[in-house]
Amino acid sequence: MDNNLRCIIDAKNIVKIYETGYEELKVLDDINIKVMENDLTAILGPSGSGKSTLMNVLGCLDLPTSGQYFLDGVDVLKAKEDQLAEIRNKKIGFVFQKFNLLPRLSALQNVMLPLLYRGIDEAEAREIAKEKLNLLGLGDRLTHRPNELSGGQQQRVSIARAIVGNPPLLLADEPTGNLDSKSSMDAIEIFKELNKEGNTIIIITHDTEVAEQMKKVVFIRDGQFFENN
Amino acid sequence: MKLKQLLKIVLINIYHNKMRTFLTTLGVIVGTATIFLVVAIGQGGEAQVNEQYSRLNVGTIMVMPAQRGRVLDPLTKEDAELFQASQNIKMAFPILNGSGSMKYSNYSSNGTYYGILPAYLEANNLTINQGRFLDDTDESKRERVAVIGAGLAELLTDGNPTEILDKTLDLNRRKFVVVGILNRMGDSGSPQGFDDTAFIPYSAAERYLLGTRANPTINAIAAGVDTVQAAIQDITTILNGNHLRGGSEQFRILDAGSRLVAAQETARTMSLLLLSVAVVVLIVSGIGIMNVMFVTVKERTKEIGTLKAIGAKKREILGQFLIEAVVISLVGGILGVIIGVCMVPLLTYFEILAIPSLSGVLIGLFFSVTTGLFFGFYPAWQAADLNPIDALRYE
Repeated sequence: MDNNLRCIIDAKNIVKIYETGYEELKVLDDINIKVMENDLTAILGPSGSGKSTLMNVLGCLDLPTSGQYFLDGVDVLKAKEDQLAEIRNKKIGFVFQKFNLLPRLSALQNVMLPLLYRGIDEAEAREIAKEKLNLLGLGDRLTHRPNELSGGQQQRVSIARAIVGNPPLLLADEPTGNLDSKSSMDAIEIFKELNKEGNTIIIITHDTEVAEQMKKVVFIRDGQFFENN
Repeated sequence: MKLKQLLKIVLINIYHNKMRTFLTTLGVIVGTATIFLVVAIGQGGEAQVNEQYSRLNVGTIMVMPAQRGRVLDPLTKEDAELFQASQNIKMAFPILNGSGSMKYSNYSSNGTYYGILPAYLEANNLTINQGRFLDDTDESKRERVAVIGAGLAELLTDGNPTEILDKTLDLNRRKFVVVGILNRMGDSGSPQGFDDTAFIPYSAAERYLLGTRANPTINAIAAGVDTVQAAIQDITTILNGNHLRGGSEQFRILDAGSRLVAAQETARTMSLLLLSVAVVVLIVSGIGIMNVMFVTVKERTKEIGTLKAIGAKKREILGQFLIEAVVISLVGGILGVIIGVCMVPLLTYFEILAIPSLSGVLIGLFFSVTTGLFFGFYPAWQAADLNPIDALRYE
């Protein structure tokens, strides 16, 4: 392994406890994970295993009850609400199972959004967004709204939105969950391609076929990791 | 995110909800139109009052019995002469006021007549349209002549007022020759209005119509606007000295200046009342905006989650929804003002004087935007305060 690679994720002793009424639910139980630059990692687990909670914590959408989490050198647990928003904007590109595109905005406008939230002006954001959509083969779909696109196309728009700001981490939550098998394969190919270009990617999935195609797989069950490769 | 982009996204969202936006704005439209019209009517009313009273000398002071009916110790012609002797008073003259039947040719009516001295004409800014006014000879000879208001002349002649000139008017079964017709005055603050009144010499009224029932009022004109209070003081002193039975207490002393102020205040109170109605309409429409914003926030919960995931800060979400509420209310406000402007000719048709003004537009828009801001804030805050994971998970 190349020692000059950056450490993107360094999470130690992550514990997440939900208090539901009278009982405490330990959803993440002492998780340790280290992701290096250019890793292509699958987090594989059945539903209820805690993988969604882990994805929320790694994606800075939720804070763990205890533990330590450095994302690209930033101490996430010390960040305030607005700083977390900034971390999500600059450090992470999200790809959701249901694409989560804004229905009233065009493909291009959807992809521009993260840049606009970063304060980049419109003309520049438009150029970058166009370039990413072209890269994903959607150059002729710029002005289409999500409901005018197929599922596979929508997922590609959402991938374009995730990579438009060149974040150090791509976080994909069941990216193939709402796609047919052909589109699923395409999506996986895109992730592999992006990884070859140097992107660091974590894919959270319950699908072993998807996980097998990643460079590294970690299993999660009952909030704990089982590494077996 | 820059404001311009935020606004753009808001406009896209509003555009895709045209019908709902329109329905939401209805209340704002009505409220803003009402405010605009209230301001216009208020200004019209004030202008009307000022215009009415512009014909009335503000130095006019009226002295009259405090109660209707017979007074123990009525005012006399001599009181008026004493008033006039005061250096604070330019002129003072008695007026006899009576009412009764008025007949001319086939037409008859009940009306008021004033027994006056010739100086009354100038004191009340009355002008002659046809014929002449009463003069000193009429007074000294107790001539049975009359000058009548334009309205009365029209009423008695069925729309052909000049024919009554030099003809006989039957006043309480006494015959008076009409020697003059006045110009139309509009309501000048006198109880009946000059237009529907007949004027006859004071001496003739005393002799032929009222006799011992004569119970005059006195009109005094102060030497200047700033001596009105001093003049009232003098009048009170004279009345106390001259009417030992009852003193000045049995008389009411009114000055035109304070009546003008009272009329202006009445107009203003009316405007204020209408304005409060408009504010209530806006509050109700504001609650409508709040409702719709709540629904919108609920509907877009998942979108809000997505926006937060890709880096929207709390204040940007807050800003987006606030701008949406403000844009909705501003659109309503602008439509309201336009409708208000269109309503002005309609009001004019119903003889309500409304003067549209820039201040009306600004007040209307201010209130509509304030409504949007105020009632949009809570839903916008709820949106901004959403927890990103809960929002993302929301279906």
